Amino acid sequence: MRFGQPTHMTLAAGFLMLTTLCSGHVLAQDKPNGNASNPSAPPPEDSSSAGQTISPEQLIKVPVSGLTPGAVEARPKLKLPALDDKAAERGMQNFASFNCVGCHMGNGGGGMGPALSNHAFIYGSAPENIFLSIYQGRPNGMPAWGTVLPEDAIWDLVAYIKNLSNAPIAEWGATTSSSSPAIEQVPVQIKASANPWQYTEKFSKGQKPQE
Amino acid sequence: MSGTRLRIGCSKLVSGIFLAAPLALASPALSQEQPQTPASEVNTQPTPQNAGQKQSTDISTLIKDDNQWPMAAKNYANTRFSQLNQITKDNVGQLQMAWSFSLGTPRGQEAAPLVVNGTLYIVGPYAGVHPNEVFALDIADGELKWSYSPKPDPAAEGVACCDVVTRGLAYDNGKIFLNTLDGFSVAIDANTGKELWHTKLGDINKGETITMAPIVVKGKVLVGNSGGEMGVRGWLTAVDEETGKIAWRAYSTGPDSEVLIGEDYHGPYDWLNGKDLGVKSWPPDKWKIGGGTVWGWISYDPDLNLIYYGTSNPGAWNHEQRPGDNLFGSTIFARNPDTGMAKWAYQPDPHDLWDHDEINESVLVDLTIDNQVRKVLIHPDRDGFMYVIDRTTGKVISADAYDYVNSIKSIDLNTGRPVLNDAMTPSLGKTVRDVCPAAPGAKDWQPSAWSPKTKLLYVPHQHLCMDFKTSDVGYIEGTPYVGADVDMYAGPGGYRGEFMAWDPVQRKKVWSIKEKFPVWSGALVTAGNVAFYGTMDRWFKAVDADSGKELWKFRVGSGIIGQPITFAGADGTQYVAVMSGVGGWSGAVAVGEIDPRVRNGALGFTGAMQDLPASTVGGATLAVFALPKNQKKAASAD
Repeated sequence: MRFGQPTHMTLAAGFLMLTTLCSGHVLAQDKPNGNASNPSAPPPEDSSSAGQTISPEQLIKVPVSGLTPGAVEARPKLKLPALDDKAAERGMQNFASFNCVGCHMGNGGGGMGPALSNHAFIYGSAPENIFLSIYQGRPNGMPAWGTVLPEDAIWDLVAYIKNLSNAPIAEWGATTSSSSPAIEQVPVQIKASANPWQYTEKFSKGQKPQE
Repeated sequence: MSGTRLRIGCSKLVSGIFLAAPLALASPALSQEQPQTPASEVNTQPTPQNAGQKQSTDISTLIKDDNQWPMAAKNYANTRFSQLNQITKDNVGQLQMAWSFSLGTPRGQEAAPLVVNGTLYIVGPYAGVHPNEVFALDIADGELKWSYSPKPDPAAEGVACCDVVTRGLAYDNGKIFLNTLDGFSVAIDANTGKELWHTKLGDINKGETITMAPIVVKGKVLVGNSGGEMGVRGWLTAVDEETGKIAWRAYSTGPDSEVLIGEDYHGPYDWLNGKDLGVKSWPPDKWKIGGGTVWGWISYDPDLNLIYYGTSNPGAWNHEQRPGDNLFGSTIFARNPDTGMAKWAYQPDPHDLWDHDEINESVLVDLTIDNQVRKVLIHPDRDGFMYVIDRTTGKVISADAYDYVNSIKSIDLNTGRPVLNDAMTPSLGKTVRDVCPAAPGAKDWQPSAWSPKTKLLYVPHQHLCMDFKTSDVGYIEGTPYVGADVDMYAGPGGYRGEFMAWDPVQRKKVWSIKEKFPVWSGALVTAGNVAFYGTMDRWFKAVDADSGKELWKFRVGSGIIGQPITFAGADGTQYVAVMSGVGGWSGAVAVGEIDPRVRNGALGFTGAMQDLPASTVGGATLAVFALPKNQKKAASAD
C-alpha cells in the first residue's frame, strides 16, 4: 500500500503547488485542517526531476493526426524527460491530487473521461501527445491543465498513464463474448499500484472480485 | 493564504419575477392526481368517437385524457397508470411493432416520449452530431414532422457524471420544453418546431449540467441541476413558460433566505426545524459545494398546492470531509409552486454515507391505513427502504426494506432517522466490503408505476452490493468532487436486478421477477392489468399486473433504460411505446470509452456491469407496438 493512497502530506504538498501556481480563481482546496493552508508546509518532494522542458516551438510540431500529406515525416524528435518508475509513482499521486481520478477513475478505467487503461488514445498515444492532451485540454470535456499544472507534473502524469495503458494484448483486435475478455485487473481497493496491469485475475462477469 | 478560495455564484439569488399563473384550470375536480378515482368519473375510455376530439393544450386538462401521455410521469401524481384497456393480459401476447424511429445516437436513452394531440415528441441524449435533438412524429405512422437541435457546447460531456442522458421533455400550452445537458432551458413551438426562447440556467464550468425532465405547474417550467459528483450547489428553478424568465430559484443548501424557507415551513421532526440549517449542518462554507442537486422527479398535488421532489447526495462522497447532517442534501422537499417557499423537508438519510440521492419519484396516492384515508407519497428510496410519508406533514408512516440491506438496520419512526449499521461506516483509506445496497441504491432514478386497480406499486430496481474506500479529495471547480474508490457487484443470489410489485398498505412484496442486469427502465401499468418494463439485455416485457406472470416479450435493438408509455390514436388504437438505447450510469460501460476489465470505472459501476457489452451496444431507437387489426376489433367489441 506504499503508493496506494496519497498521504496527507503529499496531498497537501500537491495542493500547495497547485494553489501557488494558480493565477485565476478556479482552484480551491478542500482541506481547511490540512497543511495546505500552512505556508511552512514542506515543498513537494523531488517534483522537478524531469529537468529541462521541451520548448513550445518543438511541441507545436507534434502532429495529432496520423495522416501526413506528401509522405513527409512530420514528427519532431524530442528529448523527453525520464518516464521511469519514480516518475510514474509521482504521477500516481498527481493523478489523485489533481483529480484526474475523478473523471478517468481508479486505475484509469474511464468514466466521465475516457479509459486510459487500454492502448486507445483519441489524440495520440505518444508521450508528447498525451502531454499535449493534458496541457491543452480536449474539446469533449478535457480541461486545459497547462494553465495550472507545472510541466514537470504533467510529464509525471504521462509516465503514470504509460503504465496504466499497458494492458496485455491478447489479439490485434478485441473480441467481446461470454468468454472474452478473460481477465480483469485486481481492483484498486484491493491492490493499489503504480503499475496496475501487473495484477490481474479471472474476469468476474459482474460478480464480486475474487480476492 | 486563506486555504479556501471558492468561486461560486451562490449569491445570485434571482429576485422573484413572479408572474401569476396564466392558465385557468379547466376543472377543480381531480382525476389522475387521485389515482383511486374510478375510471367512470374520468371518462377517457378510448373510442373512435371521442378519440382525437379533445384538442386541449392545457397540461392540467391533458393529464386527464388517457389518449395522451403529456408528461414523462403521465400525470402530476407520477402514477404512470393509463386507463386504456384495449390491450389486456389476454391479448397482449399478440402485440406487434407498428413503427419505429432511430434517433441516430449511440448513448443512453432514458427519456420518455410525450404524446399530445396526435404527435409524439422525443429527445435524444447529448451525443452524436446533434446533441439533445428533439423530434416530432405523427403517432399514426411515425412520419417525421420536424426536428430541433439546440446549439451544443461539447465540453458538457466532460462534467456529466453518468453518461450524457436526458430524462425527457415537458409540454404545456402549445410548447415543448427542453433541458440541455450544457445548462439551457428551451421552449419550442410544438406545432412548428420553432424556438421560442432559451434561458441559460446552469454553468458547466462549475460542473452544472441538466438531465432531469422538466415539469410544468401553473405556467412555470420547473428545472433542477445535476452535478452532485462535481461539488455543485443544488437548486430547483421555476421559469415562466411564456417568457423564459426565472421566477424563483430554491437552493438545496445555504441560508433559509436562499433555500426559500420561511414562516410557512414546518419540519416533520424537531431536528428539521431551526434557522439556517442548510448552513449550520455543514463545516464552514462546505454547503457552497455541498451537492443536493435536483435531477429526478417532481410530483404535484393541486389540492394542497404543493410540489414534491428530492435532492441528490451531499458532496463529497467521502463523508469525513463534511461532518453534520448536511441539510438539505438527500432530502425530500414540499414547496409551494407559486413562490417556491418550502412547506416541509424530510431527510431520510442524514449525513449520507453512500451516495444515496433522494431524487427518486414520490408517487402521490391516497391510501386507507388503519381505517383512515391518508394523503401519502410513496418513495422507493435509494437506501433500500420503501417510505410511505404523509404528504401534508412530511412525517413517515412506514418504512420497510424492499431489497437486501445491511448498511441500515431500520428506520426509527419516532425520529425519522435511520438506525445505521455502524460497523460499515467508512473511514479514510479503509476498504469497507459487502455494503448493500451499493452506491446507486436498491433503486435509482428509474420510475415506478402505481395501479389504482391493483393498489400495487410496480418497481424496477437493482440488486447490488459494493466495496467502498474513501480518500481525501480537494475541490477543483468544474471537476469531480467524490473521494471514493467504489467497486460494485451482484447482490446475494448473484442476480443484479428485479421488477417487483409492492403493497404499501400491507408493507410487503407481492411478487418479483429477477433479472440478470439492473432493471434501469421505467415502469408502466394499464387498466388492462398489464405492467411493462424493459431490460438491459434488450427485452421489452409485458407481465400480468396481478401475478407477475410474463405474458409477452420483444427483443429490441439495444438495452432498454427508457420509460414505456401508452396512448391512443384517432382511430382508437392503443399503442405502447418505449425507447431502447442502453447507457446511463449502469450502462456506461457498453457505450462509453470505459474498460470492462477495470472494475473501479464509472464510479464503480463497471464492476457490476462488465459483461454488459456481451449483451448489447448502444443505439437509441423508438419502438411503437399495437395489436394486429383483427385483435383490436375483438377488444373493442368487448
